[in-house]
Amino acid sequence: MSGKEFFQDRYRQLGWKLREVKLCQSIRINNTNAKAKNIVERLSQLGVQLEKIPFLNDGYWVVDSKVSPGATAEYLLGLYSIQEAAAQIPVSLFRDLKGKKVLDIAAAPGGKTVQLADAMDNTGVIVALDVNKRRLTALANHLERCHTANTVVYLMDARRATALGIKFDRVLVDAPCSGNLAGDRNWFKNRTLKDIQRNASLQREILTIANECLSNNGELVYSTCSLEPEENELNMDWSIKTLNLELQDIDCTGTAGLTQVFGNKLDLTITKCRRLWPDKTQGFFVAKLKKRHKQ
Amino acid sequence: MKQKVISNFTETFGIEISLNPNFVVEKAGRYYLVNSTLKSMVKPEYYYAGTYLGKAKGGKFFPSFNLLSIMAKKDVSRVIVDWKTAWLFICGRDILLRGVLRFFGSGKKHTNVLVLNEFGECLGFGRIVGNMSDRSRLDDFVVRNVSDVGDFLRRER
Repeated sequence: MSGKEFFQDRYRQLGWKLREVKLCQSIRINNTNAKAKNIVERLSQLGVQLEKIPFLNDGYWVVDSKVSPGATAEYLLGLYSIQEAAAQIPVSLFRDLKGKKVLDIAAAPGGKTVQLADAMDNTGVIVALDVNKRRLTALANHLERCHTANTVVYLMDARRATALGIKFDRVLVDAPCSGNLAGDRNWFKNRTLKDIQRNASLQREILTIANECLSNNGELVYSTCSLEPEENELNMDWSIKTLNLELQDIDCTGTAGLTQVFGNKLDLTITKCRRLWPDKTQGFFVAKLKKRHKQ
Repeated sequence: MKQKVISNFTETFGIEISLNPNFVVEKAGRYYLVNSTLKSMVKPEYYYAGTYLGKAKGGKFFPSFNLLSIMAKKDVSRVIVDWKTAWLFICGRDILLRGVLRFFGSGKKHTNVLVLNEFGECLGFGRIVGNMSDRSRLDDFVVRNVSDVGDFLRRER
């Protein structure tokens, strides 16, 4: 079960018609290192025209550019990061990050880790995990470039995170996923339903551990860049029924999470999740969970 | 003392930086500055922690851009360069006297100097190789590039 037609039919059943998408490049200003107004002005002088992304605090579309935004002095000095617009959403959903203990699961290459550090004003502590050593090099470079000071990085499978013996106030699970068609021409060729089910199963293992690492009043944000409900709504439905977690309302762009998926009826609170079909942004799914108070 | 390698380096710029040895951690020749909160989270198997300061290899110290930025806030030997020179420096080029807007320090040849852009942001460092005050020789190279932030792009290759 694979191929463009197979997935096209699935998306149709979920209410989306497959079409060509053209992603718009975006950046995020690192507030710890720079003032947005100054960066917009400096980049404008280099021929980089920015436009504020309405649903993000620090995100800007690159509407036109005479230079590569990834090769300016301002970028190399860590004044901004190149970060896909939808990928900027998960961190923005956490409340009161300053001074907190945060676990960042599957952190490399570090866009969200740096965003967390920025939102925390380099206070508190982020423990960032990734299982791939090569990707950790990219993460370390990203942290150095952006002058991040509050992060400890481990080469570690997220499923071993309880070994750290730390309870975290916030946990970010930007889960390893099947990705989506936006920005990957060969996506339909390379993905099968079996891959998706395998990823969904790994994500449930990670969610279980993430929940164990979460303190009682903690917040957990779950995100993927997959369009497949197995990795998104179905995993959230499973989480609230199995892990003593409850979904929280979020103020964020996108459409409500699906409560009817291929004939399955899901918990109605799944509408609190947000699904972004590919358009100007890549496809994305995000949800915020909290531990349910014990009676 | 593990932080000695760092203070030896900063002294070549004419400054002392006092780092609390309890908050400098080292792994595989890489040095990091942490605080008390972070230190309690640093287990022996960590990969990266806090503020990366640089690495020691083959008897030499290679500073991070974080350390250079910390140093730039002190009264350190430094040159401030114009926009074009800043860009060329980031691309690995040496600095002509023509591009130097201001200079602070002794100007002694073969000593280290930080290179800052007109916003006071640290782009890296170099070694003084020419006369910094002879404005009749504007096309002379005065600072040889040793390390610049363009390295972030070169590392990814």
